[in-house]
Amino acid sequence: MADLAPAPRLLHFAAAFGAGGLLSLMVLFNGTLAVYGSLLFASWVPHLTGTLLAIIILLALRPRRASMVRPPLWAYLGGVSGGVTVMLTSATVNTALALSGTIALGLAGQMLFSLFADIRGLFGLPQRMPKPRDYLALALIIAGSLVLIFLGGAT
Amino acid sequence: MIGFAALALLAGVLVSLSRQINGRLALSTSAWESSFWNHIVGLGFITLAAVVFGGLFAGAPQDAPWWAYLGGPVGVVFIAAGSWLIARIGAAQTALLIIAGQMISGVVIDIVMGTAGNALARVVGVALILAGMWVARSAKD
Repeated sequence: MADLAPAPRLLHFAAAFGAGGLLSLMVLFNGTLAVYGSLLFASWVPHLTGTLLAIIILLALRPRRASMVRPPLWAYLGGVSGGVTVMLTSATVNTALALSGTIALGLAGQMLFSLFADIRGLFGLPQRMPKPRDYLALALIIAGSLVLIFLGGAT
Repeated sequence: MIGFAALALLAGVLVSLSRQINGRLALSTSAWESSFWNHIVGLGFITLAAVVFGGLFAGAPQDAPWWAYLGGPVGVVFIAAGSWLIARIGAAQTALLIIAGQMISGVVIDIVMGTAGNALARVVGVALILAGMWVARSAKD
């Protein structure tokens, strides 16, 4: 078995929780854009402005490459997966699934594949075996999310 | 219906897949560089889709409030954070904690924006999520 990643520290917790807050803002901003323009437009614009800001950040910070070895070419294709996601959700959100069903199933797909990836150590990332405690945390957070999605009137 | 449910499930799988691929890129480069490639490759892909399907500028996007155009800059930080986290705490912990943050901040945004909602469900949902985060946090090994 490969070496296991350490348990998350407070900094990681804060960063991930904060990233979730950023995601809420993205959903609000991009969702508002989609009310006025097309769904493609609401995904195209943030990718365009995001690319410009990323270039500015790279020029300003000049982060070092972690390794002299070139990453595999497929590692550059994460953005394609993100683009397909936009198309899939825009296809399902207007069906009987509605927004709540689309979000709930999206959470399920995300968690199932993340667990599978951790257990197998997919894509050259550290292998990590979830413990019973991790499954309890998972059950509580997903239960709370489902309550909010289906009963809270929250999106 | 089953077909659409499968598509919605697949969309979630792709969110996780994208984060793993970006995380792998960040392992060789940096979180910021992986966010850059995610955005520019995604931009090319969506531009291609817009050329094929058309209708990119349909509707009245010029009428949207100015702040609706801020999603991109926020996304750059979001993707960089995900790439940085996934190599350190794993895909499942990253996804779970991002979901927790998204759900709780979603409730806060709804309250600030005055969106109608069930107060009891909001309290129960947030309490369950906080309990789950406490359980995850107290794991020491």
